[in-house]
Amino acid sequence: RNYFPCRAQPKKKKKVDVRREQAQKDRMKKKIKKLEKAAPEMIPIEDFITPLKYSDNSRVRSLPPLSFEETERRVLLMKKWCLFKQKQDKAEKEAIQTLVAAQQEALKELRLESEELYQAAIRRDEGLFPYEKEGPTYTPPLPGYDPPEGKCVDVTKVYTQ
Amino acid sequence: IELEKSQYSDHEIRKLQEEEQLRKRKESGYDDQDEAPGKMVIMAQDLEDKWEQKLLQFKAAPRITDADKNNNRMSLNRKLDSNLMLLVKQKIGNQQLWLLPQVEWQPGETLRGTAERAMAMFLGDHIQAKVLGNAPYGIYKYKYPQAIRTEDTVGAKIFFFKAFLQRSDLSQAELKEDHLWVTKDELGDYLKSEYLKKVNRFLLD
Repeated sequence: RNYFPCRAQPKKKKKVDVRREQAQKDRMKKKIKKLEKAAPEMIPIEDFITPLKYSDNSRVRSLPPLSFEETERRVLLMKKWCLFKQKQDKAEKEAIQTLVAAQQEALKELRLESEELYQAAIRRDEGLFPYEKEGPTYTPPLPGYDPPEGKCVDVTKVYTQ
Repeated sequence: IELEKSQYSDHEIRKLQEEEQLRKRKESGYDDQDEAPGKMVIMAQDLEDKWEQKLLQFKAAPRITDADKNNNRMSLNRKLDSNLMLLVKQKIGNQQLWLLPQVEWQPGETLRGTAERAMAMFLGDHIQAKVLGNAPYGIYKYKYPQAIRTEDTVGAKIFFFKAFLQRSDLSQAELKEDHLWVTKDELGDYLKSEYLKKVNRFLLD
Protein backbone atom coordinates (compact mmCIF):
# COMPACT_ATOMS: atom_id res chain seq x y z
CA ARG A 1 0.00 0.00 0.00
CA ASN A 2 2.68 2.54 -0.64
CA TYR A 3 2.04 4.98 -3.28
CA PHE A 4 5.63 5.91 -3.56
CA PRO A 5 7.10 5.10 -6.89
CA CYS A 6 8.83 1.83 -6.18
CA ARG A 7 11.09 0.26 -8.64
CA ALA A 8 11.17 -3.36 -7.71
CA GLN A 9 7.52 -4.22 -8.22
CA PRO A 10 6.94 -2.67 -11.63
CA LYS A 11 10.09 -4.37 -12.92
CA LYS A 12 8.95 -7.77 -11.83
CA LYS A 13 5.61 -7.29 -13.49
CA LYS A 14 7.26 -6.39 -16.72
CA LYS A 15 9.50 -9.44 -16.72
CA VAL A 16 6.73 -11.85 -15.95
CA ASP A 17 4.56 -10.32 -18.66
CA VAL A 18 7.33 -10.38 -21.17
CA ARG A 19 8.14 -13.98 -20.39
CA ARG A 20 4.51 -15.00 -20.56
CA GLU A 21 4.07 -13.24 -23.85
CA GLN A 22 7.13 -14.87 -25.25
CA ALA A 23 5.94 -18.28 -24.14
CA GLN A 24 2.57 -17.65 -25.81
CA LYS A 25 4.26 -16.58 -29.01
CA ASP A 26 6.39 -19.71 -29.06
CA ARG A 27 3.37 -21.92 -28.56
CA MET A 28 1.58 -20.19 -31.44
CA LYS A 29 4.61 -20.58 -33.66
CA LYS A 30 4.84 -24.28 -32.86
CA LYS A 31 1.18 -24.73 -33.76
CA ILE A 32 1.64 -22.84 -37.02
CA LYS A 33 4.63 -25.00 -37.91
CA LYS A 34 2.66 -28.15 -37.25
CA LEU A 35 -0.18 -26.99 -39.45
CA GLU A 36 2.16 -26.06 -42.25
CA LYS A 37 3.94 -29.39 -42.07
CA ALA A 38 0.68 -31.29 -42.50
CA ALA A 39 -0.18 -31.84 -46.17
CA PRO A 40 -2.51 -29.25 -47.71
CA GLU A 41 -6.12 -30.30 -47.84
CA MET A 42 -7.53 -31.26 -51.19
CA ILE A 43 -10.06 -28.84 -52.61
CA PRO A 44 -13.24 -30.88 -53.14
CA ILE A 45 -14.57 -30.80 -56.67
CA GLU A 46 -18.20 -30.10 -56.14
CA ASP A 47 -19.28 -31.62 -59.44
CA PHE A 48 -18.11 -35.10 -58.52
CA ILE A 49 -19.87 -35.34 -55.17
CA THR A 50 -23.58 -36.10 -55.45
CA PRO A 51 -25.40 -34.44 -52.59
CA LEU A 52 -27.11 -36.92 -50.29
CA LYS A 53 -30.58 -35.67 -51.02
CA TYR A 54 -30.42 -37.08 -54.54
CA SER A 55 -29.61 -40.63 -53.50
CA ASP A 56 -33.13 -41.10 -52.22
CA ASN A 57 -35.15 -43.68 -54.01
CA SER A 58 -38.30 -41.62 -53.96
CA ARG A 59 -36.97 -39.63 -56.88
CA VAL A 60 -36.73 -42.44 -59.38
CA ARG A 61 -38.99 -42.13 -62.39
CA SER A 62 -41.18 -44.95 -63.55
CA LEU A 63 -41.11 -45.04 -67.33
CA PRO A 64 -42.46 -47.66 -69.72
CA PRO A 65 -39.68 -49.85 -71.18
CA LEU A 66 -38.33 -48.95 -74.63
CA SER A 67 -39.99 -50.67 -77.55
CA PHE A 68 -38.06 -52.71 -80.06
CA GLU A 69 -38.63 -50.19 -82.86
CA GLU A 70 -37.34 -47.42 -80.68
CA THR A 71 -34.08 -49.21 -79.91
CA GLU A 72 -33.64 -50.07 -83.59
CA ARG A 73 -34.22 -46.48 -84.59
CA ARG A 74 -31.71 -45.29 -82.07
CA VAL A 75 -29.01 -47.70 -83.16
CA LEU A 76 -29.42 -46.77 -86.82
CA LEU A 77 -29.43 -43.09 -85.97
CA MET A 78 -26.21 -43.50 -84.04
CA LYS A 79 -24.58 -45.20 -87.01
CA LYS A 80 -25.62 -42.44 -89.36
CA TRP A 81 -24.39 -39.84 -86.93
CA CYS A 82 -21.02 -41.56 -86.65
CA LEU A 83 -20.65 -41.57 -90.41
CA PHE A 84 -21.64 -37.94 -90.68
CA LYS A 85 -19.22 -36.90 -88.00
CA GLN A 86 -16.42 -38.89 -89.59
CA LYS A 87 -16.95 -37.17 -92.92
CA GLN A 88 -17.12 -33.79 -91.26
CA ASP A 89 -13.91 -34.40 -89.38
CA LYS A 90 -12.13 -35.61 -92.50
CA ALA A 91 -13.28 -32.55 -94.44
CA GLU A 92 -12.06 -30.26 -91.68
CA LYS A 93 -8.66 -31.91 -91.60
CA GLU A 94 -8.31 -31.66 -95.37
CA ALA A 95 -9.29 -28.01 -95.26
CA ILE A 96 -6.65 -27.35 -92.64
CA GLN A 97 -4.06 -29.12 -94.76
CA THR A 98 -4.85 -27.04 -97.84
CA LEU A 99 -4.72 -23.94 -95.68
CA VAL A 100 -1.28 -24.79 -94.39
CA ALA A 101 -0.04 -25.76 -97.85
CA ALA A 102 -1.26 -22.48 -99.34
CA GLN A 103 0.45 -20.55 -96.60
CA GLN A 104 3.71 -22.39 -97.10
CA GLU A 105 3.58 -21.67 -100.80
CA ALA A 106 2.94 -17.99 -100.13
CA LEU A 107 5.88 -17.82 -97.76
CA LYS A 108 8.15 -19.53 -100.29
CA GLU A 109 7.22 -17.00 -102.95
CA LEU A 110 7.71 -14.17 -100.50
CA ARG A 111 11.17 -15.44 -99.72
CA LEU A 112 12.02 -15.39 -103.40
CA GLU A 113 10.88 -11.81 -103.53
CA SER A 114 12.67 -10.26 -100.59
CA GLU A 115 14.38 -11.74 -97.57
CA GLU A 116 13.52 -8.78 -95.35
CA LEU A 117 9.78 -9.08 -95.87
CA TYR A 118 10.03 -12.80 -95.31
CA GLN A 119 11.68 -12.30 -91.95
CA ALA A 120 9.05 -9.75 -90.98
CA ALA A 121 6.32 -12.20 -91.96
CA ILE A 122 7.75 -15.10 -89.97
CA ARG A 123 7.89 -13.13 -86.75
CA ARG A 124 5.39 -14.11 -84.05
CA ASP A 125 2.40 -11.85 -83.67
CA GLU A 126 2.22 -10.97 -79.98
CA GLY A 127 -1.12 -9.24 -80.09
CA LEU A 128 -2.94 -12.22 -81.55
CA PHE A 129 -3.41 -14.37 -78.44
CA PRO A 130 -5.44 -14.34 -76.25
CA TYR A 131 -8.03 -13.75 -78.94
CA GLU A 132 -11.55 -13.07 -77.74
CA LYS A 133 -14.60 -12.90 -79.91
CA GLU A 134 -18.28 -13.21 -79.17
CA GLY A 135 -19.80 -16.01 -81.12
CA PRO A 136 -22.95 -15.65 -83.22
CA THR A 137 -26.29 -16.32 -81.52
CA TYR A 138 -29.09 -18.42 -82.97
CA THR A 139 -31.22 -15.37 -83.78
CA PRO A 140 -29.94 -11.86 -84.46
CA PRO A 141 -30.41 -9.30 -81.67
CA LEU A 142 -33.85 -7.67 -81.60
CA PRO A 143 -33.59 -3.94 -82.17
CA GLY A 144 -35.02 -2.13 -79.17
CA TYR A 145 -35.28 -5.16 -76.90
CA ASP A 146 -35.41 -4.33 -73.20
CA PRO A 147 -33.97 -7.18 -71.14
CA PRO A 148 -35.68 -7.83 -67.78
CA GLU A 149 -33.86 -6.25 -64.85
CA GLY A 150 -32.42 -8.27 -62.03
CA LYS A 151 -29.34 -8.79 -59.92
CA CYS A 152 -27.12 -11.83 -60.26
CA VAL A 153 -25.58 -13.00 -56.97
CA ASP A 154 -22.66 -15.39 -57.31
CA VAL A 155 -22.90 -18.15 -54.69
CA THR A 156 -19.96 -20.32 -55.74
CA LYS A 157 -17.87 -21.53 -52.80
CA VAL A 158 -14.23 -20.52 -52.92
CA TYR A 159 -11.70 -22.79 -51.24
CA THR A 160 -8.21 -21.74 -50.19
CA GLN A 161 -5.45 -24.21 -49.65
CA ILE B 1 -36.75 -33.01 -71.50
CA GLU B 2 -34.38 -35.81 -70.65
CA LEU B 3 -36.57 -38.46 -69.06
CA GLU B 4 -34.51 -41.62 -69.20
CA LYS B 5 -31.31 -40.84 -67.40
CA SER B 6 -32.66 -38.35 -64.91
CA GLN B 7 -34.48 -38.36 -61.61
CA TYR B 8 -37.26 -36.15 -60.41
CA SER B 9 -36.20 -32.58 -59.70
CA ASP B 10 -37.41 -30.45 -56.78
CA HIS B 11 -39.91 -28.63 -58.93
CA GLU B 12 -41.39 -31.87 -60.21
CA ILE B 13 -41.63 -33.38 -56.72
CA ARG B 14 -43.43 -30.28 -55.54
CA LYS B 15 -45.82 -30.56 -58.45
CA LEU B 16 -46.55 -34.22 -57.72
CA GLN B 17 -47.12 -33.56 -54.04
CA GLU B 18 -49.49 -30.72 -54.77
CA GLU B 19 -51.45 -32.84 -57.20
CA GLU B 20 -51.71 -35.54 -54.53
CA GLN B 21 -53.01 -33.03 -52.02
CA LEU B 22 -55.55 -31.66 -54.44
CA ARG B 23 -56.79 -35.15 -55.18
CA LYS B 24 -57.09 -36.00 -51.51
CA ARG B 25 -59.00 -32.85 -50.84
CA LYS B 26 -61.50 -33.61 -53.57
CA GLU B 27 -61.99 -37.12 -52.29
CA SER B 28 -62.38 -36.13 -48.67
CA GLY B 29 -65.15 -33.76 -49.67
CA TYR B 30 -63.93 -30.21 -49.38
CA ASP B 31 -63.64 -30.28 -45.59
CA ASP B 32 -60.27 -28.66 -45.10
CA GLN B 33 -60.49 -26.06 -47.76
CA ASP B 34 -61.54 -23.27 -45.45
CA GLU B 35 -58.72 -23.93 -43.05
CA ALA B 36 -55.76 -23.21 -45.29
CA PRO B 37 -56.75 -20.93 -48.10
CA GLY B 38 -53.79 -18.65 -47.61
CA LYS B 39 -51.09 -21.29 -47.62
CA MET B 40 -51.05 -22.69 -51.13
CA VAL B 41 -51.53 -19.55 -53.12
CA ILE B 42 -48.99 -20.35 -55.80
CA MET B 43 -48.84 -23.91 -57.06
CA ALA B 44 -46.16 -25.41 -59.24
CA GLN B 45 -48.62 -25.88 -62.07
CA ASP B 46 -49.44 -22.16 -62.00
CA LEU B 47 -45.79 -21.32 -62.23
CA GLU B 48 -45.42 -23.55 -65.25
CA ASP B 49 -48.39 -21.95 -66.94
CA LYS B 50 -46.99 -18.52 -66.26
CA TRP B 51 -43.65 -19.46 -67.79
CA GLU B 52 -45.36 -20.95 -70.83
CA GLN B 53 -47.28 -17.74 -71.37
CA LYS B 54 -44.14 -15.69 -71.17
CA LEU B 55 -42.45 -17.88 -73.75
CA LEU B 56 -45.33 -17.56 -76.17
CA GLN B 57 -45.31 -13.81 -75.80
CA PHE B 58 -41.64 -13.51 -76.69
CA LYS B 59 -40.92 -13.34 -80.37
CA ALA B 60 -37.34 -13.65 -81.54
CA ALA B 61 -35.91 -11.75 -84.50
CA PRO B 62 -36.06 -13.71 -87.75
CA ARG B 63 -32.93 -15.39 -89.00
CA ILE B 64 -33.60 -14.52 -92.63
CA THR B 65 -33.33 -10.76 -92.80
CA ASP B 66 -34.71 -8.36 -95.37
CA ALA B 67 -31.41 -8.21 -97.17
CA ASP B 68 -31.70 -11.93 -97.81
CA LYS B 69 -35.10 -11.61 -99.38
CA ASN B 70 -34.05 -8.74 -101.61
CA ASN B 71 -30.70 -10.36 -102.31
CA ASN B 72 -29.04 -7.06 -101.58
CA ARG B 73 -25.40 -8.02 -101.59
CA MET B 74 -24.17 -4.67 -100.41
CA SER B 75 -25.42 -4.95 -96.86
CA LEU B 76 -23.78 -6.88 -94.07
CA ASN B 77 -27.04 -8.17 -92.68
CA ARG B 78 -27.42 -11.04 -95.07
CA LYS B 79 -26.55 -14.70 -94.60
CA LEU B 80 -26.18 -14.42 -90.87
CA ASP B 81 -25.11 -18.04 -90.52
CA SER B 82 -22.05 -17.94 -92.79
CA ASN B 83 -18.95 -15.82 -93.26
CA LEU B 84 -18.97 -12.90 -95.66
CA MET B 85 -16.01 -11.60 -97.63
CA LEU B 86 -15.55 -8.10 -98.99
CA LEU B 87 -15.21 -7.71 -102.77
CA VAL B 88 -14.37 -4.43 -104.42
CA LYS B 89 -14.39 -3.39 -108.05
CA GLN B 90 -10.94 -2.16 -108.96
CA LYS B 91 -9.25 -0.96 -112.09
CA ILE B 92 -6.25 -3.08 -113.08
CA GLY B 93 -4.48 -2.03 -116.25
CA ASN B 94 -7.39 -0.99 -118.35
CA GLN B 95 -10.00 -3.39 -116.97
CA GLN B 96 -12.50 -3.04 -114.18
CA LEU B 97 -12.42 -6.24 -112.16
CA TRP B 98 -14.06 -7.56 -109.03
CA LEU B 99 -11.30 -8.35 -106.57
CA LEU B 100 -10.55 -8.75 -102.93
CA PRO B 101 -9.33 -5.29 -101.93
CA GLN B 102 -5.73 -4.86 -102.97
CA VAL B 103 -3.20 -2.09 -102.73
CA GLU B 104 0.34 -1.81 -104.09
CA TRP B 105 3.12 -2.43 -101.66
CA GLN B 106 5.30 0.56 -100.84
CA PRO B 107 8.94 -0.17 -100.07
CA GLY B 108 9.67 0.35 -96.41
CA GLU B 109 6.43 -1.20 -95.24
CA THR B 110 5.82 -4.71 -93.98
CA LEU B 111 3.23 -6.77 -95.80
CA ARG B 112 0.89 -6.60 -92.87
CA GLY B 113 1.19 -2.82 -92.90
CA THR B 114 0.13 -2.84 -96.52
CA ALA B 115 -2.87 -4.99 -95.68
CA GLU B 116 -3.91 -2.64 -92.93
CA ARG B 117 -3.50 0.32 -95.24
CA ALA B 118 -5.72 -1.39 -97.78
CA MET B 119 -8.37 -1.93 -95.13
CA ALA B 120 -8.18 1.65 -94.00
CA MET B 121 -8.49 2.80 -97.58
CA PHE B 122 -11.57 0.77 -98.38
CA LEU B 123 -13.38 0.73 -95.09
CA GLY B 124 -12.46 4.01 -93.43
CA ASP B 125 -9.92 4.81 -90.77
CA HIS B 126 -11.74 3.82 -87.62
CA ILE B 127 -12.44 0.28 -88.59
CA GLN B 128 -12.03 -2.37 -85.94
CA ALA B 129 -10.55 -5.35 -87.66
CA LYS B 130 -7.99 -7.81 -86.44
CA VAL B 131 -5.42 -9.10 -88.89
CA LEU B 132 -4.59 -12.68 -88.02
CA GLY B 133 -0.83 -12.92 -87.89
CA ASN B 134 2.06 -11.49 -89.84
CA ALA B 135 2.34 -14.16 -92.51
CA PRO B 136 0.34 -14.17 -95.77
CA TYR B 137 -2.28 -16.85 -96.29
CA GLY B 138 -2.17 -17.22 -100.03
CA ILE B 139 -0.60 -15.91 -103.16
CA TYR B 140 -1.69 -15.21 -106.68
CA LYS B 141 0.83 -14.32 -109.31
CA TYR B 142 0.23 -13.30 -112.86
CA LYS B 143 2.26 -11.94 -115.70
CA TYR B 144 1.60 -8.59 -117.24
CA PRO B 145 0.59 -8.58 -120.88
CA GLN B 146 3.48 -8.00 -123.27
CA ALA B 147 2.71 -4.33 -123.74
CA ILE B 148 3.37 -3.30 -120.15
CA ARG B 149 6.34 -5.52 -119.38
CA THR B 150 9.53 -3.65 -118.70
CA GLU B 151 12.97 -5.03 -117.94
CA ASP B 152 12.44 -5.47 -114.21
CA THR B 153 8.80 -6.22 -113.81
CA VAL B 154 7.47 -9.31 -115.52
CA GLY B 155 4.33 -9.69 -113.49
CA ALA B 156 2.86 -9.15 -110.09
CA LYS B 157 2.39 -11.22 -106.99
CA ILE B 158 -0.59 -10.59 -104.76
CA PHE B 159 -0.31 -11.80 -101.17
CA PHE B 160 -3.51 -12.34 -99.22
CA PHE B 161 -4.06 -11.68 -95.55
CA LYS B 162 -7.04 -12.58 -93.40
CA ALA B 163 -8.69 -10.24 -90.96
CA PHE B 164 -11.81 -10.43 -88.83
CA LEU B 165 -14.15 -7.48 -88.50
CA GLN B 166 -14.91 -6.85 -84.86
CA ARG B 167 -17.89 -4.59 -85.24
CA SER B 168 -20.46 -4.79 -87.95
CA ASP B 169 -21.45 -1.14 -88.03
CA LEU B 170 -19.97 0.40 -91.14
CA SER B 171 -22.02 3.54 -91.03
CA GLN B 172 -18.96 5.72 -90.75
CA ALA B 173 -17.16 4.08 -93.63
CA GLU B 174 -17.47 5.59 -97.05
CA LEU B 175 -17.14 2.93 -99.65
CA LYS B 176 -16.46 4.84 -102.79
CA GLU B 177 -16.28 2.06 -105.29
CA ASP B 178 -18.81 -0.70 -105.68
CA HIS B 179 -18.47 -3.19 -102.93
CA LEU B 180 -20.10 -6.49 -102.14
CA TRP B 181 -20.25 -8.82 -99.20
CA VAL B 182 -20.31 -12.36 -100.51
CA THR B 183 -20.11 -15.84 -99.11
CA LYS B 184 -17.63 -18.40 -100.37
CA ASP B 185 -20.08 -19.96 -102.82
CA GLU B 186 -20.99 -16.68 -104.40
CA LEU B 187 -17.35 -15.76 -104.95
CA GLY B 188 -17.45 -17.83 -108.11
CA ASP B 189 -19.95 -15.41 -109.65
CA TYR B 190 -17.55 -12.53 -109.54
CA LEU B 191 -13.96 -13.69 -109.59
CA LYS B 192 -11.98 -15.06 -112.48
CA SER B 193 -11.23 -18.79 -112.47
CA GLU B 194 -7.47 -18.72 -111.84
CA TYR B 195 -7.78 -16.10 -109.15
CA LEU B 196 -10.73 -17.96 -107.67
CA LYS B 197 -8.82 -21.22 -107.51
CA LYS B 198 -6.03 -19.70 -105.50
CA VAL B 199 -8.35 -17.77 -103.22
CA ASN B 200 -10.55 -20.73 -102.44
CA ARG B 201 -7.62 -22.60 -100.98
CA PHE B 202 -7.29 -20.43 -97.92
CA LEU B 203 -10.87 -19.46 -97.30
CA LEU B 204 -12.85 -21.58 -94.86
CA ASP B 205 -16.57 -21.42 -95.00
